[in-house]
Amino acid sequence: MPDARYDIQDTRFGPMVSVLISTFNRRQYLSEALSSALHQNYTNLQVIVVNDGGQDVSDIVESCNDSRVVFINRKENRGKAFSLNEALARAKGKYIAYLDDDDVYYPDHIERLVNALENQTNCQVAYTDLYKAYCKIMPDGSRQILGKGVEISRDFDRFLMLYFNHALHVSLMHRADLIEKTGLYNERLNILIDWDMTRKLAFFSDFCHVPEITGEFYSPVGECDRISIQHRKDQSEYMRNVLAIRTTRPTKPWPKIDDMSIILVADKLDKQAGQTIGSIWRHTFYPYKLYLPLPQADLDRLKTDMPNVELVSIGPAASQAQGVDEALRICDGKYVTIVPSGFEIQEMWIENPLYALINSSTTREGFELEDSTDVVWAAVFRKEDLQYARNGFPKLPVRQSLEAAGITLRQQRPDELPFQFDDLLQQAQLTEKDGNWMKAAEMFEYIAENYQNKLWMKTLAARAFYKAGDHSRASKLSNQVNRQRPTVDTLLLEAKVAHERNDLNAAIGLLRRAQQILLGRAYYIVSAETNG
Amino acid sequence: MDSTQGNSIEQHNCKQHYEVLQELGDCYTSVGNHAQAQQCYEKAASLEPDEPGPYVGLGVVALQQELLNDAEIAFRVACRLDPKSAKAYAGLAMVAQQKNEYPQAFELYMKSLELDSDNITALLGLFQTSCQMRSFAKVIHYLQVYLNMHPGDTSVMFSLAALYMKESQFEQSRKILLDILALDPANQEAVNLLEEVEHSLAQGSHII
Repeated sequence: MPDARYDIQDTRFGPMVSVLISTFNRRQYLSEALSSALHQNYTNLQVIVVNDGGQDVSDIVESCNDSRVVFINRKENRGKAFSLNEALARAKGKYIAYLDDDDVYYPDHIERLVNALENQTNCQVAYTDLYKAYCKIMPDGSRQILGKGVEISRDFDRFLMLYFNHALHVSLMHRADLIEKTGLYNERLNILIDWDMTRKLAFFSDFCHVPEITGEFYSPVGECDRISIQHRKDQSEYMRNVLAIRTTRPTKPWPKIDDMSIILVADKLDKQAGQTIGSIWRHTFYPYKLYLPLPQADLDRLKTDMPNVELVSIGPAASQAQGVDEALRICDGKYVTIVPSGFEIQEMWIENPLYALINSSTTREGFELEDSTDVVWAAVFRKEDLQYARNGFPKLPVRQSLEAAGITLRQQRPDELPFQFDDLLQQAQLTEKDGNWMKAAEMFEYIAENYQNKLWMKTLAARAFYKAGDHSRASKLSNQVNRQRPTVDTLLLEAKVAHERNDLNAAIGLLRRAQQILLGRAYYIVSAETNG
Repeated sequence: MDSTQGNSIEQHNCKQHYEVLQELGDCYTSVGNHAQAQQCYEKAASLEPDEPGPYVGLGVVALQQELLNDAEIAFRVACRLDPKSAKAYAGLAMVAQQKNEYPQAFELYMKSLELDSDNITALLGLFQTSCQMRSFAKVIHYLQVYLNMHPGDTSVMFSLAALYMKESQFEQSRKILLDILALDPANQEAVNLLEEVEHSLAQGSHII
């Protein structure tokens, strides 16, 4: 049966895209945001505006006089997640894109993303880069632009996405049918709802990073009125949201993520076991399910609102190995971690060895956790290896059975750790902060050559070289970036060096381009050129 | 990324538009496009009202158009915003020099050089004013300081050689002129002055 979603497509312009805009008390900016969504080079759009119980904006929406606009004018404030879900219910596009009521798309935004998803990749999710526009709010509410920078231009990294959102929501486009797999926006969250969604999307698709700047979001200097920023100030509320997101497990199957089962080994349910359970909850970001093999009497006493816990009833006299065997029988993760009660759990406790295991091509190999000892022994394996050992040597304790089955155990090497790029970036930034600009510049250049995110790293290298006094290298790198994707920063740097060399016409040309970007006119020029 | 890093990025980005306008204003000034330069400086001043840079720029533009009173006002604003702005004092000195107020110009150039001994405009202005006032001793010191930091700057070397000559220190003058010609054998001004110096030296030895 054909999907009704695609029936109204105008095939002359490619598949329909639904743009979702939730608005709440930002009348003064909505008009510009809405206009930027409607004035796209790509025209097969449905733009859904949801007023989340804020000031009346009907006049603004009606003044567009555009049949592609759907307006949901709700009187009650229900939050952004609710609004987006409401809009999703009305979305008819093959693809979904998002725009905040105070941000703007450049005219090529939708076109570039559709092109990436339709023609350039098998990904079902794509994102671009955006300018963060620093601005001063003037007494009349208008925004005076102080600067525009691409703060993050990060290629997709699934492991990182589980930990930290690096795809801005406003720059995101995904297939609409993915929502059937991810589920809707989580209405119990009041911040980070965008990360919750991108994290869930990462279970089902790779993301295509289109390193073009196709819009901007605004960051007022000083006190920010953004609801999400205000909520972030409450640390406990922030952690509640983070933990809710980390423990969210969309419905299986997950084509892009292999599940992990954690089996907690404890003789009884005591305070120490309770603390270990709590620590696992707080410090694990890789998707997991926790198995608790305990006597029924202990399980009856267990009161936990912690999600993703599977209770496994074992006999009162069962050994720890028998407990592991019982859990292993029902757990469905591709990877299994065995951790004893009282094991010290810190950030990355399991993600470091797990990442090494996921990327290891050696069979019959497991990884011991960093703080594992002979007394408090913890390790992670492929489930098939653990099963092989247990089936072959069921009477032996777990560790001996692995040894007997020829499954080797080791700790991960530094080069097997996740987030290598981020660690190097952080080191370079700290070097920069210490004022060692030349070393920092060389580090950024090294990262650009050896890792992803070339444009971003070259931009940082150019700035550091300039501060270190090597204006020639700064100019060369800026020029490389400007030829591919000019930014205000790199245009300014190249212009400064051109000025120093007395090449005034070149400097003026570069600065005028930077000025056009700052004034928001550059994208209209690009658009006009594109349209002939 | 830690919050300090975030703050420094924010500080950097918050001055970006100002920097672009200031730089663009300077470039327009250099090519003599006064109207565009003025527009850029005025916008830059509206973005960063506490920065002296745009006022120095406006002063230079006014000076180039010989609007001495406007220039003086602009440089005075810059001085008030930053009492340590060497460029603003150099600008005020230039205004005074154009008004033929040489002692005042001399003092202001000196003040500018105290704040930034690297300021070439002030240095050359001081040299000119000294010539106009026929008082060279203090200037020689500043030219020497500058050349210690910028060895090989032939225009300043030439000024120093000329001053030595005026002070009848012909040997020092000759040495510097030979250094200039080693760096730039085609420097005709140096060749001419060297001729004069050699002549003076010959006369001196003849007297002895």
